[in-house]
Amino acid sequence: MSVDVYKRWAQRYPNMSTAPVPADSCILPEYFALERERIFRRSWLCVGNVCEIPERGDYIVREVAICDANILIIRGNDGVVRGFHNVCSHRGNTLAWDAKGKCRGYLTCNFHSWGYDSAGQLKWIPDEANFFDLDKRQLGLTPVATDVFRGFIFINFAPEQTLTEYLEGVTERMKPEGFDQLRLQRMYRFEERSNWKVSMDAQNEGYHVVSQHRYLMPKLFVTTGEGCFRSAEMTFFGRHSVSGSSISPDYKPFPVEGLMFQIDNGPSRCRLPMQHSFEFHLIFPNFAMLFFRYPTNDFCITHNFWPIAVDRTMWEIRFYAPDPLNAAELLSQDFMQVFNRVVFDEDASAHETVQAGLESRAKKFLLLQDEEIAIRHFHDVLDAEMATHNGR
Amino acid sequence: MAGENSIAKASGALPEPFKDLEPFLHWALPSEPERMAARETSTIEELQVFYDAMLRRMPAIVEYLNRFPLDRMPVEAQRLLNMALALNEVSIAVERYRQPRVINGRERERFFPGR
Repeated sequence: MSVDVYKRWAQRYPNMSTAPVPADSCILPEYFALERERIFRRSWLCVGNVCEIPERGDYIVREVAICDANILIIRGNDGVVRGFHNVCSHRGNTLAWDAKGKCRGYLTCNFHSWGYDSAGQLKWIPDEANFFDLDKRQLGLTPVATDVFRGFIFINFAPEQTLTEYLEGVTERMKPEGFDQLRLQRMYRFEERSNWKVSMDAQNEGYHVVSQHRYLMPKLFVTTGEGCFRSAEMTFFGRHSVSGSSISPDYKPFPVEGLMFQIDNGPSRCRLPMQHSFEFHLIFPNFAMLFFRYPTNDFCITHNFWPIAVDRTMWEIRFYAPDPLNAAELLSQDFMQVFNRVVFDEDASAHETVQAGLESRAKKFLLLQDEEIAIRHFHDVLDAEMATHNGR
Repeated sequence: MAGENSIAKASGALPEPFKDLEPFLHWALPSEPERMAARETSTIEELQVFYDAMLRRMPAIVEYLNRFPLDRMPVEAQRLLNMALALNEVSIAVERYRQPRVINGRERERFFPGR
């Protein structure tokens, strides 16, 4: 099946520019410093999923280097998920030292044994009578705005909107069905010598699929008669975007893939609210959710692109699926994970080389075609946010 | 792997219906980085032989393994499951790249540094 159309999205979105996008934002340290203040300290940032802290007292600790913060996300004894700076009120020491743990009674600082409950309240100060004018009730952990959407935990250091307001139409497009089935199955995390936007832009378009992934997924998606990628949906919700792709009805799976596509495992336990066989949801600024449809279950992969420096990014990849109940589910889930790990390996091959190319100053602009419109949308939003918060 | 809960006889390395796959027991690797390393360090000919042997038995393998709960898999069945997982890893090389390693990939260095 082919779709012989050109410049569809530019016609759909006539108010968006088609001009080249300046590359400066990926290489200038001063731009990076402003992103820290104007983007990352003001945006809702996804730091994990509630499946990592299912029980009361469970907590995770996340380093948010771009905001110089170490964040404790903890499910209180009242069941509420809260976020705090992981910093003791006494003299600022790190409170929880493990990446993951459980608060049984108090979380106790290693330094002088100040103790906090699962809601962040300061409950115990050794030798309290020897202090001066302390009021424990005022000295709980410093909260960070925290909210949950479809099981994913977001924090914000200086919220100007609620998470629901921030997500705009995403909340309507991404219906709640299926998300409560998702569990974290596998994670990769590695540092790249590239700007966070260079790494993320590489995921945010389908144009590269027929080129960079020519061995891995030839003829998988719908193309023009000449074999050029064509997405099925491109929608913008405020700062965020979704692109959808359809598997070509003529696609002949490779043998093992075919087996995984055919495994009849009875009714799926997890159907995500998908409108296409593959969906890519970009949640501004640095979080992406990818949905995949398999007969056994739908799967979700997330990307976090954490800026470390103008030319350093920590890329986190997480695979979510229901916990497999039998071998068929385990095998199809493993195939999907192995296959996508290889896809991301191919993708990553261009991150550091693109960064080097831009740093050479040989080219001053990124040239974007119609299928790369989501990248353009992202950079337009970034520019607007940078300008909006100028001088504030 | 729960050896003490094994409900199959521990007489053989693989379940009785799959004895013919015992020449490939070295593919019964329990972790993703081990399976990835085995693919990377094999020749494409070695991968092809394993792939051919496993692929035709996969429908029967899945049907057999589905009889057991994943957390109480007999030790012989667990080996067979690990071999089926290795087929996932190997299939990428045999079916798509026609070489053991990902073209332009960094693989273990990227995803499992130090392993």
